[in-house]
Amino acid sequence: MSNAPRLRPLGQPRRVTVSADEHGEPVHVRMPGKPARRVETINERWRIDDEWWRQPISREYRAVVLDDGRNITLYHDLLDRCWYAQRG
Amino acid sequence: MAEPHSRVQSVPTQYGLGWALSAYTAPANDNSTEWFTTNTSSRTSSGSRQALCLWLPTFELRLELMRSPELDSTSVALLAPVESTRRTIWQVSERAQEAGVRPDQLVSQAVSLCPSLTLLEPDPAHYDSAVNSMLELLSEITPVIEPAGRGRVFLGMDGLGRLFGSPANQAKRALQALFRIFPAPLVAATRAGLAPGKFGAWVAAAAARSGEPVIIAENELARFLAECPVSALPVDPLVIQRLERLGILTLKELRRFPEPSLIAQFGEEGRSALAWATGQRIDPVRPWHRPKPIRVTLDFPNPVGIVATLHGGLDRLVERALSRPTRRGRSVTSVRMGAHLEGGGSWFIETVLREPTSQRDRIASPLRAKMAISPPPKAVETLIVEFTQFGAPSTQTGLFDRREENGRAIGGRDLAQGEIPPSLRDAVKELKLRLGHSPLFRVVEVDPWSRIPERRHALLSFDP
Repeated sequence: MSNAPRLRPLGQPRRVTVSADEHGEPVHVRMPGKPARRVETINERWRIDDEWWRQPISREYRAVVLDDGRNITLYHDLLDRCWYAQRG
Repeated sequence: MAEPHSRVQSVPTQYGLGWALSAYTAPANDNSTEWFTTNTSSRTSSGSRQALCLWLPTFELRLELMRSPELDSTSVALLAPVESTRRTIWQVSERAQEAGVRPDQLVSQAVSLCPSLTLLEPDPAHYDSAVNSMLELLSEITPVIEPAGRGRVFLGMDGLGRLFGSPANQAKRALQALFRIFPAPLVAATRAGLAPGKFGAWVAAAAARSGEPVIIAENELARFLAECPVSALPVDPLVIQRLERLGILTLKELRRFPEPSLIAQFGEEGRSALAWATGQRIDPVRPWHRPKPIRVTLDFPNPVGIVATLHGGLDRLVERALSRPTRRGRSVTSVRMGAHLEGGGSWFIETVLREPTSQRDRIASPLRAKMAISPPPKAVETLIVEFTQFGAPSTQTGLFDRREENGRAIGGRDLAQGEIPPSLRDAVKELKLRLGHSPLFRVVEVDPWSRIPERRHALLSFDP
């Protein structure tokens, strides 16, 4: 095995299933292989539109608290219309 | 059935006499009251209420005399196991006793009193082997067996009437069984007492003549205990001392006092003393959990007396014992080290670890310290290590705790930037040996102010 240092990404987003209300806000989140969790609170929202000059990024972020007390960061990818979660 | 009560006067005290030392392994560390105090009448639901006590006085010395019959008619004393630099007498033969030699005397005093005294080194391995044979044999009579030292054992006799008949027959049956493993003189010296509870059975055994069991029925217990001296009570020796100073010498005299006044004088011990004295407290025989030790041995091609070699052997044995599959998932709390010595005899030391561990050095260090105080008296032919008691799974040392190799904390010193704790370095080394690469990573900043979370940090392989 090579002794060269290996680099691994950290905090990669994972695709999740989200049910949203009529305003597009997440109500339930289901991680792969886990039961669905209710979103208790949305602490913060922000939007990123960046890197339009190479691979455009357009995301709507929400820092949420689930009903089991976990803090996660959710974003709605406005390009592929999918929801992703990553560690806060 | 009971013997004349005047003989009860000979009940030995719980403390002081050599035979009364009841630790299974090391008599010097004994607490003879332990087998009484853990049980109370409120817990008689488990265990056997009817108790048979078999007592072989000076058991170890008698075993030695069986091995060397030519010493039988001489003055013989068994040396106490080496626990300090001052050697003392442990058990003495009748002839030596006549010459004034007593247990706990210094060897120099004993030899000056009896110049012809033959001193014998103890051989714990031999004694333990005899006890194991005895317990195995007695387990054919009843499954409820509770040893209290090497020469004393309690048998739970509840429900054995249909098998063996009357209580007297039950006691005789137990005594007869001993003939299968011990020679007649040793069995003949065995005393037996059958009574409700271990305290009653013990007092009965102490009052019995050799080979003639004393049987105490439930309704006779209080009367039987009346003449028993207070020194037999399994209570704090200071309480006994005070009772004797107050002129209260027997349990009958103790019973005259109302419970509140005894409690006022002696606290809870006073209440206990009265409960024992009146026979209200019955301590059942509880089945003994026989520990299954992990035992490893190392035979030296030539007898070894060099301490460094013994230390090396100890390290190897501890490693071997730790790697046994039966040890996995358990930490070690008590360990015993011993040796078969050149020219016969054995030597043992035992230590209870300060905290459960499965690290070689933490197990071996206290044994080395004990070995420095009481080294093997002769060259060692076979070295033995036994893990005798086990605890919960060992706790893993934190990889980032700032401790040196020997467990001492590095006094409040913070690690310098980039410095790697030795424990972490060792852990990575072990993992690399096992896996071929380091599976650990460290978190590094890539773009800490990025608005995109996954770009802020990354994992970089960690291989110091």
